[in-house]
Amino acid sequence: MSEYLGIAVIGALAAGIVGLMVVLGSTLGKKHYTDVKLSPFESGKDPFALPIGRLAIKFYLTAILFILFDVELVFLYPWAVVYRKLGTLGLVEMGVFLGILMVGFVYAWDNDALDWR
Amino acid sequence: MTQLGVSDLALIVPELILVGAALVLMLVARRIRRNWMAPIATVLAAVAAGLAVAWGPSGTATGFAGMIVIDGYSRFFTVLIAASLALATLLSTRNVDGEEIPRGEFHVLLLLAATGMMLAVSTPDLLALYLGLELMTICSYILVGITVARPLANEAAIKYFLVASFASALFLYGISLIYGLTGATDFETVAAALSERGLDPLLAAAILLIVAGLAFKIAVVPFHAWAPDAYQGASSPVAAFLAAASKAAGLAALGRVAMVAFGSETQVLGPILWGLAALSILYGSITALAQTDMKRLLAYSSISHAGYALLGLVGGTAEGTSATMTYAFIYVFMTLGAFGVVVALGPRGETLDGYQGLGAQRPLMAGLLLLFLLSLTGIPPTAGFMAKFTVILSAERAGHVLLAVLAVICSVISAFVYMRVAVNMFMREPQQPAPSRFPVAVSAALAIAAVVTILGGILPAGLLPWAVSP
Repeated sequence: MSEYLGIAVIGALAAGIVGLMVVLGSTLGKKHYTDVKLSPFESGKDPFALPIGRLAIKFYLTAILFILFDVELVFLYPWAVVYRKLGTLGLVEMGVFLGILMVGFVYAWDNDALDWR
Repeated sequence: MTQLGVSDLALIVPELILVGAALVLMLVARRIRRNWMAPIATVLAAVAAGLAVAWGPSGTATGFAGMIVIDGYSRFFTVLIAASLALATLLSTRNVDGEEIPRGEFHVLLLLAATGMMLAVSTPDLLALYLGLELMTICSYILVGITVARPLANEAAIKYFLVASFASALFLYGISLIYGLTGATDFETVAAALSERGLDPLLAAAILLIVAGLAFKIAVVPFHAWAPDAYQGASSPVAAFLAAASKAAGLAALGRVAMVAFGSETQVLGPILWGLAALSILYGSITALAQTDMKRLLAYSSISHAGYALLGLVGGTAEGTSATMTYAFIYVFMTLGAFGVVVALGPRGETLDGYQGLGAQRPLMAGLLLLFLLSLTGIPPTAGFMAKFTVILSAERAGHVLLAVLAVICSVISAFVYMRVAVNMFMREPQQPAPSRFPVAVSAALAIAAVVTILGGILPAGLLPWAVSP
């Protein structure tokens, strides 16, 4: 059990410091309640809105590009795990994979998909 | 762990050529200055892929840990797909210029769709087959909707996408059932495991799901509903490519699955294919009678032709599969030819009324269309007669006399469909001004399709040495 002692100490320290800060902040700090501060936090969007109206397509484009490249790069992790077993061929294969991915990136760039306008 | 090597890459040279061309086109998509560059690159890549097959080693070879097999069957269909890619590209030149289609993207999608088809015809594994067919289908969705400004094209693309992704799910579900029953996805192991166990409902369901998934790709009744809408909405060359190449690839995949993976399950597979073939031939021929839109008419005709092509697979014999391969080959060229005349006529070619008096205005064009229509009907001495004769004969030899009789009767019905167009062309007065001359590329594609359609009828045994069942 002794090897878990360090973790327990860190846990206790973290809980103590965070708890202290929360308590100090809520007792000593000044409070100015405004409508904006009291509304639920929704990343800057209006939390209650009917799903009508138009949304700039650039959000969609950025999101889809992020998902595409993010998901593709997840393939690097299994490759990194068996990197030594795959040897040179694995390295070349991953180079080809990243090269094709870069063609897609260049294409997106070429078509101004990365310009925030 | 199976090591992959350069020898594996040698098996997929045609696919590598097409992917390479697609990647280069993607990089330069915004820098293409001249209209002819992208089509020329695509046609050259298709020709190179076809030559790579012709000059490649003969015999059977497997690679990629059993995911790719190159045999006579896959070579036959790879060449066929390369040819239809080249012809569809030639046909598309004027539409790409006129309909504001992004030039680079259009050709990239054609190349990648053809790559998916080639992978699908040369794999002995259900998962790799799924991958190849998905690559083909996803590119096809975008190709159908690529004329963004036309609402009909958008509607067609969405319909096609919804129905085809549903079909993909069915196919995957069938694969998972097969994997659960046999513990494998490659055809040989599946076949070995299935021949040991008896027939059970789960196996029948799995076969039904896989065949249904593939039946969507070749648009046979009752999995046909997307085809007329997709062909009508899509730009005509895209419809030609879908009707010809993707149907050939789907047939090839179905043939390999039926012959290798489920070769021992004829008591399940036979009745399913019998039903699909009978329904498609009957429904396609009769519904085509009522069409007034030329592309919808050709869509229903392609549905009935998919049924005819299935006649060879119903018996489950090597000879029947060979007949289906011949049918697919000839079907591709005569369909591309018929769609080619629609492309050449432009907006006038979209409706049946547009063909009135074409024989007086443009005798050569009308004559070509007549040739393709005669071939689609199956009248000697065109290739269509030979193709239809072989598949009906193989169905009759396999003991399906009723199916053969039905096919012959529907062949007569379909003659009315095609002759309506011929009557419009030669026996009516022209209502519209004569069509303008069409580009060299379209003429070249039409000439190639016409030569194959005539040669296939004159030399009926010419294809046989290559049409070898897997």
